[in-house]
Amino acid sequence: MNKLPSHKKAAIVLTALIVLLLLISLCSIALVKARAGKQALVAEIYQNGILIKTIPLYLVTENQTFNVTGENGAENIIEIRPGSIAVISASCPDKICVHQGFRSDSLLPITCLPNRLVIKLRTANPSDASAVDALTY
Amino acid sequence: MNDSKKNTGGLSIQKLTVLSLLTAAALMIYAIESMLPTLVPIPGIKLGLANVVTLIVLKRYGARDAFLVLLSRILLSACFFGSLLSLLYSLSGGLFCLLILWLVNRLLAGHFIFLTSIMGAIAHNLAQITVAFLLTSVAGVLVYLPFLIVSACLTGLFTGLCAHFTLKYLPRFENERS
Repeated sequence: MNKLPSHKKAAIVLTALIVLLLLISLCSIALVKARAGKQALVAEIYQNGILIKTIPLYLVTENQTFNVTGENGAENIIEIRPGSIAVISASCPDKICVHQGFRSDSLLPITCLPNRLVIKLRTANPSDASAVDALTY
Repeated sequence: MNDSKKNTGGLSIQKLTVLSLLTAAALMIYAIESMLPTLVPIPGIKLGLANVVTLIVLKRYGARDAFLVLLSRILLSACFFGSLLSLLYSLSGGLFCLLILWLVNRLLAGHFIFLTSIMGAIAHNLAQITVAFLLTSVAGVLVYLPFLIVSACLTGLFTGLCAHFTLKYLPRFENERS
């Protein structure tokens, strides 16, 4: 072991570090996936880090669309369906948020970085049910 | 030789030409890659093939020239295809990536370039997700982190191997280090 040149030792340490990082990542992906089962979901829409809208998706009965506008003409059209949500149109060039499609699990937030829009899905709390009146559109 | 150095800030004309050529190549690779559809619907996951050029310059010419080529490529690509925001992401990712590439490359004494590349890719994604977190202030974007690390390992390995084989077959020019 001591006869190895220092760059080979460094390579071994780095490989171990990379493998460790990979394992931690894969485990946390599995963990997040396991926790994001089919549950009553609430969508939270954030713009510039501020919560601008909360929608209990499990209470949605018919498809609806609405616009979220931001600075510099940023615009995202969001469609909600019973139990799922998607960005169906965006003013940004890459449209990654649109390609993320309809989401019905809390695994990954829908993100439109150019327009600083994040839609997080979380499981419903008992307090969300009391918000029904405010959200019957 | 000395005359030519005077006019170009310490770079010989030949080196300047080769570095410019490599910058142009990086820009082309970047342009073509941005036209490809994204494979995974997660922001931030892409091959990062332009990084092959950074690796090549780092290994053949050293950190200073790699910095020049990287900075030119990022500024030019922002002028041609990007916005101010994408410039911010590219700069943070690119510069932190280069710092790690340089450190790891020194540690490995220029060997195992694919390991250097993987560490660089991870550093790149870490820097970008930090900027995304600072811009959106939503802790939820950090959920992307494990996905980005896994993809960085794969794409870093790929670009590292690309750089390895390119270095093997790329002709050497005069006045080159190592």
